[in-house]
Amino acid sequence: MNTVETAGLNRLQAASAPYKKPLRNVIYPYLFILPFSLLVFVFFILPAIATIAMSFTDLNASMKPHYIGLANFKRIFADYNLPEILSHTAVFAILSLAISLLFALIISIATQYFLKGKVSAVLYRVLWLIPSIIPSVVYVTFWKFLFDPTEGGLVNDLLHRMGIISEPVSWFTRGAMAIVILATIVSTVSGGMILLSAAINSIPEDLYKAARVDGASEKSVIMKIILPTLKWPLMYITISDLIGFVSSYFFIMLLTQGGPMRDTTTLSLYAFQQAFNLKYYGYGAAVSLIVVFISFILTLLLIRLFDFDQLIKPSRIED
Amino acid sequence: MSTSTLKKALVHTYMTLFTLPIIAMIVWYFLAATMNFTTHEVSMRNFDFLIKPVEYDGVELPLIWPIVLNTILYSLLIVAIEVGVSVPTAYAFSRLDFKGKRAAMKFLFLMRSFPGITLIIATFFILVQMNLVNTYLGVILVAITGSLPGRVYIMKGFFDEVPWDIEWAAMVDGTTRFGAFKKVLVPYVFSGIGAISVFSFLGAYGEWFLFKLLIFNDDMMTLAGYLSKLVTKENQIVNYGLITAIGLFYTLPVVVFYIFTQKMFMKVNMGGAKQS
Repeated sequence: MNTVETAGLNRLQAASAPYKKPLRNVIYPYLFILPFSLLVFVFFILPAIATIAMSFTDLNASMKPHYIGLANFKRIFADYNLPEILSHTAVFAILSLAISLLFALIISIATQYFLKGKVSAVLYRVLWLIPSIIPSVVYVTFWKFLFDPTEGGLVNDLLHRMGIISEPVSWFTRGAMAIVILATIVSTVSGGMILLSAAINSIPEDLYKAARVDGASEKSVIMKIILPTLKWPLMYITISDLIGFVSSYFFIMLLTQGGPMRDTTTLSLYAFQQAFNLKYYGYGAAVSLIVVFISFILTLLLIRLFDFDQLIKPSRIED
Repeated sequence: MSTSTLKKALVHTYMTLFTLPIIAMIVWYFLAATMNFTTHEVSMRNFDFLIKPVEYDGVELPLIWPIVLNTILYSLLIVAIEVGVSVPTAYAFSRLDFKGKRAAMKFLFLMRSFPGITLIIATFFILVQMNLVNTYLGVILVAITGSLPGRVYIMKGFFDEVPWDIEWAAMVDGTTRFGAFKKVLVPYVFSGIGAISVFSFLGAYGEWFLFKLLIFNDDMMTLAGYLSKLVTKENQIVNYGLITAIGLFYTLPVVVFYIFTQKMFMKVNMGGAKQS
């Protein structure tokens, strides 16, 4: 072995000896995420654990929990309201999702393909955005007025003038769920519309031109070029909207508060009412655990849609 | 050519039909606030709430200005805290290496999509234990925990865009890593900070649920919480004129603000679903 080779070997060994970061530099990144981590721990992880723990207790207005085992879960399965509430949840989530997705698709194809680059296209989209910008407390007043049960309500007034009805109809007792779904759809369309419009906008113009030269009809342009491009955004919107519909009850609370009777009570609202109106915190937690479980599964599905390795980039400064 | 104009006309007709209800809605807000539908008189009497306490459904409502002040203070506080917490966190996720970064990132992602609202019962219990019910601090802590993952995610996107050369150059010139963060990176992502400030502000301005749930004192209300109490008081609204007048007073600043920041909105919203 000659000297040059040993020198090279030595250098190699020196380089492969692990570089130990000074402690200060190891702690440094954690300081940056400390406030965030603390908040997340106290108001996200802790509540998640507490929800599970509470569902095994009879916590009520006295705020003194006692362990009662699986009694809450047995009670859920014996709850005579449950089949009705589950079907409301399914109807609400599926109808809202299907119709709002359809509208988002129609509007984005119309404005980004048929009317691409036109002022009117922008106008249509901006107008459709308005229901989602208006704060929900103000937004619901319109729906309350539209279906007001007195003769002053817009629908009653119009139908009365056209001579279709003589007595004002109490819309909220007849079709509360339909009203809730309608209000939800009109304000959710815009979210999907933004994502779909952006995706359609990214299709190069040449592709359409080539298709037209080949004699493709509008129908096949939409079916063969536009819809395949929208596969990922559509999946994303489907899952994230579904999470929203299953877990949130804001519009329902503002519009009908779950009534009349339990006609518009979804599972998540039922959990809320059990906890905060009837003060059965333990039972409410047990019911909400079902919602948590469904949302968790959906969230995991959503995360599967993203490429994670692309999101995480190593630091390019060694310290 | 004529078939294409026909098609355009058809699309226009459909789109106009789709959009008419929304235009009708906007028109209604203005009409309901200013017009008496039975006498068809136009007056600004509904806006009396701006100068004196008014009566609604037999109950005298408090004067609006302290509530407006609460709303603005609360919203600005939320903006300050959310920016202050999310910028360093996003920087760490984007530019620093630490053990458990991958897991933390996955968790951040999960939190961003997971509806925190489903945990509200336990959150309420924890707030009771911490004696934070009926305080602003409690509302703020719960509100920012819910929205921070989204803000961090957006900010991380902005930090990812900063070229490494800039940071290298700053460090070659003799500053520390933290110095580079403070003097080079933060000014570079200023547009991102602007974007998340707008989001935070709008989110805080519209927050009614936590106020309805956690705040019992009327003098601590914000506009959204105040309106939500009025809207859900009875099954039907008694005086649409007054409610829409307050609603317009509350909404118009947001809509105007929104129109000016619309472009940014679109850009950042799209970033949320960027695909591989």
